[in-house]
Amino acid sequence: MSLSSAVITFPGSNCDRDAQTYLEALTGQDTHKVWHKDVSLPKVDLLIIPGGFSFGDYLRSGAMASKSPIINDVLKHADRGGYIIGICNGFQILTEIGLLDGALNRNINLKFLAKNCFIKKNHDNHFNKKILPDHCLSIPVAHNEGSYYNSEEGLKSLEDNQQISFLYCDEKGNTTDQSNLNGSLNHIAGITNKKKNVLGLMPHPERAFQDFHTSQDGQLILESLLG
Amino acid sequence: MNTELILQHGLTLDEYEVINNYMQRELTMEELGIFSAMWNEHCCYKTSKKWLKKLPTSNDIVIQGPGENAGIIDIQDDDAIAFKIESHNHPSYIEPFNGSATGVGGILRDIFTMGARPIATLNSIRFGDLSNFKTKYLVNGVVKGIGHYGNCIGIPNIGGECEFDHSYDYNNLVNAMAIGHVKKDSIFYSEPKTIGGLIVYIGSKTGKDGIHGASMASDVFSEDDEDSKRPSVQVGDPFMEKLLMEGCLELMDAKLIESMQDMGAAGITSSSVEMASKGNLGVEINLDRIPLREPLTPYEILLSESQERMLAVILEENNEKVKNILKKWEIDYEVIGVVTDTKKVIFKSQDKIVVDLPVDIIVDSAPEYDRPFNLPLKHKVQKYDFNQLNIETCLNNLLTNINYSHKAWVYDQYDSTVMGDTIFEPGSSSGIVKVHKTNKAIGATTDCNPLYIRINPEQGMAHTVVESYRNLVSSNIKPMAITNNLNFASPLDQNIMGELVLSIHGLKETAKYFDTPIVSGNVSLYNQTNDEPIKPTPVIGCVGFNENYRSVIPTHFQNDGDQIFMIGKPLDLAESPYFLQDQLGLSNINEFNDLAKCDFALEKKHQDFLFQMFEKNMIKSCNDISRGGPIHSLITMMTSKLGFHIQHSDELSLFSEYLAGYIMIIDQNNSESIVKEAQAECIDLMHLGSVKTDTIEINEFQPKFNIVYEVYKNNFSDKIKNYHDN
Repeated sequence: MSLSSAVITFPGSNCDRDAQTYLEALTGQDTHKVWHKDVSLPKVDLLIIPGGFSFGDYLRSGAMASKSPIINDVLKHADRGGYIIGICNGFQILTEIGLLDGALNRNINLKFLAKNCFIKKNHDNHFNKKILPDHCLSIPVAHNEGSYYNSEEGLKSLEDNQQISFLYCDEKGNTTDQSNLNGSLNHIAGITNKKKNVLGLMPHPERAFQDFHTSQDGQLILESLLG
Repeated sequence: MNTELILQHGLTLDEYEVINNYMQRELTMEELGIFSAMWNEHCCYKTSKKWLKKLPTSNDIVIQGPGENAGIIDIQDDDAIAFKIESHNHPSYIEPFNGSATGVGGILRDIFTMGARPIATLNSIRFGDLSNFKTKYLVNGVVKGIGHYGNCIGIPNIGGECEFDHSYDYNNLVNAMAIGHVKKDSIFYSEPKTIGGLIVYIGSKTGKDGIHGASMASDVFSEDDEDSKRPSVQVGDPFMEKLLMEGCLELMDAKLIESMQDMGAAGITSSSVEMASKGNLGVEINLDRIPLREPLTPYEILLSESQERMLAVILEENNEKVKNILKKWEIDYEVIGVVTDTKKVIFKSQDKIVVDLPVDIIVDSAPEYDRPFNLPLKHKVQKYDFNQLNIETCLNNLLTNINYSHKAWVYDQYDSTVMGDTIFEPGSSSGIVKVHKTNKAIGATTDCNPLYIRINPEQGMAHTVVESYRNLVSSNIKPMAITNNLNFASPLDQNIMGELVLSIHGLKETAKYFDTPIVSGNVSLYNQTNDEPIKPTPVIGCVGFNENYRSVIPTHFQNDGDQIFMIGKPLDLAESPYFLQDQLGLSNINEFNDLAKCDFALEKKHQDFLFQMFEKNMIKSCNDISRGGPIHSLITMMTSKLGFHIQHSDELSLFSEYLAGYIMIIDQNNSESIVKEAQAECIDLMHLGSVKTDTIEINEFQPKFNIVYEVYKNNFSDKIKNYHDN
C-alpha cells in the first residue's frame, strides 16, 4: 500500500531530517514537515515524532514538547486510528502526552548510551508483522533516559493487552541482564497503545536502513506498515 | 595607569608602552580590557605567528585557508567542506564538564558561522596518569561534557583519540574538531561590506561567565589557581546552540546575512574588532542594547565569554525578515550598532563613549615575538637489553596498558549515528560520514605522538602527520588537508620554544611533500603547572575524501580464512620509542635514542600501492601500523568471533613501530595476485598468516582468544571504574 507521512519538528529535535530521509526512501513519497506550533496535521497515514532533545530536555525529557500546540491534533490523529511512531525522544513525548503508558527513566549506569543493540519482536502488531519471531534486529540506540518504567499493574496490563512490541536481547535472541542495556523493566524496548496504532521505541530504525549503515533491519518496521 | 593593573590584564609593560605611545592618552578600563583580550596568546598568536606563516596553506582545493572561523576545501561539484580543531584545555581542567562541553560548542559555531552545516565532530583528549588522584574525575567529566553537548545538538562524533601520560597530570588537553558541509556558492565570511549595515546580536543573553577566559587560556597555572579560576569557565547550553544553528543557517539560506562572526574567546570584543579589521571598516556599538542575563558593567559586557552568541551584519531592509526567522526559533536578537567608515572600534554606554580605539592599533600593532629557542640536544646512542621480553610478556604489557585498550567506554557516550550518514563510527581506522544526498564520503582522524615529538620535534611531527594519512588511506580515503592544534607548555622556556619551532617546521615539510595544506588551526600555550610542562602535543586533524562511499574499506576482519599481509619497514627496537616506553618502561627522555627519519618516499609509494589495490578490489579490510606494532593493529581488527594466526621470525618486531606500515586482509583467492602486484611495484610484501575463528596464534604462542578479546575490550572501563572506588 502507499503510505503518506509527516514528521514533527520541535525546537531541539535532531532526528527529524533522519526520519524524513527514512520515510521518503521507503515510502517513495514526499514527507510533510510539521512545526510544533502548527495547530493541525496534514492528512497522513503515519506520523513520526522524531528523536532529539526537544526543548533541551529541560524539566524532563518530552515534558515541554507535550504542551506544544500541535499535540492536540496528534491526539486526534491517534484517536482516528492514524499510525504514530515515536522514536527515542518521540517515545518519551508519547508517554508524556498519555498516548503510551509508563515512563523512560535515566539509564541504569547513569550514562548516555550510544551503541548498536539487538531487539526482537514480542507481541504482534502492524509495526512488526513482517519480522520473524526469531529475527534479532540490529539497531542503534542513543539516549540518556531510555530505561522503561511502569508499575506492576501497568506492566501486567501491557502484557494482558499484548502491547509489548519489542524487547532488548542479545544477537542470539536471549534476554539477559547484559542485553538489557539501559535497565528497562521486563527488557522493554518498545510498546504500543491498546489499539496498537501508536508505537514508541528507544532504538532508531531510521539509522539502520541504508546500504552503508551497520544494519538494514530498521526497514522492517516501516515495511511491516507498508504491508 | 598603574603597573599592577596592567600586569593583571596580562600585558607586559613593554606592550603597554606601545599602546601608550600610539594613543598619547590614558586608556579607559574598558580599553585596557580590550587590549588584554586581544593581545593575549590565544587571540593574537604572538609567539607562534612568525612560524605559522611558513606553513603551506593553499593549493587547488583550498577555498579558505587560515584566518577565518574555519578552513574550507573543495570536494568537487558544488560541494565544499569546512573544518577546524580548537582547544579548551585550561577550562577543562578547572571544570571538566562545562569546559569540554563549551569546547564542542565553540568549534561547532566556527563551522556554522561560515554557512556550513556541521556533519561530524572528533575529539582528541589527553589526561594524566591513572594513578593521579584527579584523572578519573577529569576523564568522567570531560567525556560527559563532550557527549552532553554534541549529543544534544545532534552532530555525530566519529572519532578521535584518548591518551594517558604523566605529563598531563596537571594540564589535561581537550581538543575538539568539527567538520561541516556547505555549497560553494553559500559560504559566509566575517568581512562586512556595507557602511551603515546593521550590526545584530543573535543568541543567548550575556552573563558574567568566562570573563577573562581568553587571557586565562594564555597563562601558566599554579596549583591553588583552580578554585579561583573556576568563574572564568563558560557554561554551555547545547539546546540554545541548536536553535542558534538552525536560526543562523535559515538566515543564511535566505541570503539575509552579509557577514557573520561567532562570539568565541573574548566575546563581543574580539568578534567586533575582527569584523572591522576584515572589512577595513569601523564599528559603533551601543552596549546598552546587548541582551543581558544579569546587570553588568560595560567592562564585563566587553569581556564576557557567554556561549551561544553570534554577531552578524545585515542590511537594514532585511531587518524585519531576520527578526521573524529568529522569533520562530525563539532566539534573542537585537540591533546593537552599525558598520562605519571610521576604521575605529567605538563602544558606547549611557550616552558616553567607553571605548574609542583605532582598529589598527588593536590588530596590526598586536605584538609578535621572535622568542629565543634552543635546539634539542643530540641523543647519545644507547643499547638496551631485550632479553627479558618475549611475545607473552609483550602482549601482556600491551593488553594491560590503558593506552592500547578499546576505547568504547569513551565513545559509547557519544552519539555517532545521528544525522543518519555515518559510515564508520569511532573504533575504525578513520571516522567516515557520507555527504548527505551525495555519494561522497568524508573521512577524518586526529593524531599526535607526543613522545616522538619530545625526542625529535621535527621528525616526530613528520611521523605524526604521515600516521594521520595512514589512518585515512587504510580506509581508502585520500588525505586532502589538515587542521592543527598546537598544544605546548610555556614558550618562555627556550627548550619548549624550540619544540614549537621545530615541530611546525616538520609539519611544513610533510604537508608540502604530500600536498595537504594546513587550512585552519589553533595554538594553546602555557600548558604547564609550575614547572611541570606537558609533552609537546601538536595534534593533527586530517580530512580526506572518496567520491564513492561504497568503495571505503573497513578496518575489521571479515571472514575466516582470509589472508593477512603486511607492508612497511619496522623501526629498529632501539629506535622504537613507544616500544621502549611501554615494553621496557623507559620514561626519562635522555634514555631514548634519536628518532628514525620519516621516509616520505616509502609512505607515498605504499599509499599509491594501496589505492591501486583498493581500485582492483583486492583488499577486504585494512589497518595501519602505529604504536604497539602489527600485533596491536591486528588486535584492533578482531571481532567477537574472528582472531588471527600468524608467523614471524623476528617476534619482538611484531610490537615495534613501523615506517609506512599497513596490514591488509586479502581473500584467499587473491593471495597470488597481490604477491604479483607487489612484485611488479617493487613493494616488500610479507605474508603474516590468516584470519581464524576464535583463535590467536603468534608463532607457537597461543593465548585464549576469549581472554585476549575480553581484556582488550574491557580493560579501559575496568581501570576507569576501579581505580579509586575503594
